[in-house]
Amino acid sequence: MAHTAEFDAKAAWDGGQSPFRISYGKMMMWFFLVSDALTFGGLLVSYGFIRHKYADVWPKAENVFTHFPFIEQHLPLAYVGLMTFILIMSSVTMVLAVEAGHRMDRRGVTVWMFWTIVGGATFVGSQAWEWYHFIVGTHTGGPEGHGGAWRNVWDPATHAYIRQVYNGATMAVNEYGVPQFANYFFFITGFHGFHVFSGVIINLVIFLNVLKGTYEKRGHYEMIEKVGLYWHFVDLVWVFVFTFFYLL
Amino acid sequence: MSEFHDDYPSYETMYNHDEAYGKKARRTLWNVFWIMLAITVFELIIGSMAPSHGWSGTLGLKVLFIGLTVVKAAAIVIWFMHLGHETKFFKYTILLPYITFILYAIFIILVEGIYSGQPGNFTRVDKIFIEQQQELKKGHDGAVSTTEAAHGDEHSSEHH
Repeated sequence: MAHTAEFDAKAAWDGGQSPFRISYGKMMMWFFLVSDALTFGGLLVSYGFIRHKYADVWPKAENVFTHFPFIEQHLPLAYVGLMTFILIMSSVTMVLAVEAGHRMDRRGVTVWMFWTIVGGATFVGSQAWEWYHFIVGTHTGGPEGHGGAWRNVWDPATHAYIRQVYNGATMAVNEYGVPQFANYFFFITGFHGFHVFSGVIINLVIFLNVLKGTYEKRGHYEMIEKVGLYWHFVDLVWVFVFTFFYLL
Repeated sequence: MSEFHDDYPSYETMYNHDEAYGKKARRTLWNVFWIMLAITVFELIIGSMAPSHGWSGTLGLKVLFIGLTVVKAAAIVIWFMHLGHETKFFKYTILLPYITFILYAIFIILVEGIYSGQPGNFTRVDKIFIEQQQELKKGHDGAVSTTEAAHGDEHSSEHH
């Protein structure tokens, strides 16, 4: 890379400069992301374990996530595919904002940051929509005739337990399969969704600073790089959640 | 930099570049995007074809999906997060601890996890749920077979 041409790796360890050739803030962002990635890694590993344990009764994602806004058809995984596309797209606009920052191009940074925020907000909204349909469930109680759940409800009139078909999902019971399926869905996509939500807020703050000209005055747009790292990390996690939750 | 430091190089502006270099960089980034998009579309097509072709849950499909995911993840980390531009030592500082811990987590869950599948290691609630699901797979075709009295109250997962 042209960037690191005049760098003597050995001499850097003698002090007076960072051997990593990286500023403190960016390095700490990386370390934070490593620890956050370990959290997500732990969640996904435990998800894999539980899923394997209940392999016989684990629902197939293409039977669960079949809804698409405004279209009354079964379109397995179409919407989540679109969500993935939106998030990858917003990752590209983010990296273009970083690139514009390297050229001190304030207008470029503004435009690309704006689209990043739009993409992120769209993703969070889609996530909420997906949760809504997951929680409300289907009319038949279970995807396409199989699966489904019942629970026993005490009927005071007959003094007996009555079996009741359950629609939708809570932490305790869901129509799609074992309770752990909904638990992990809520926890992993919720944890990720909260990361996206925080990312949108952070991006918004940085965007306002760009508008105010804070970084123009500071002489560099490194802050865009730092929030960019976080934003790409969110995209990175989604790539794994998408594979392990929806595709496999 | 501030008065608390020695005369550090300004790392903040180190990656700044001119328009010519930026043009090249942008082309690389868009290429990475198109490749990632193509991979995602490919995954979705394979994923939607899988049930009718009997590929669901096969080892080949799992290896394919996980492999493609790792490719996408590497693309994000190397080009979008610019880890490819950092010094060699920093790359290792980030990647080695993470890869070590995750490989260990996968290893330990594979090794210790086998006990959970052995007969006798299912807890009571596990059996009930599996029985319930298998029963539903057999007999549930949308009809509301609700009012039949169920056996045993320990099944209840009612908390409301």
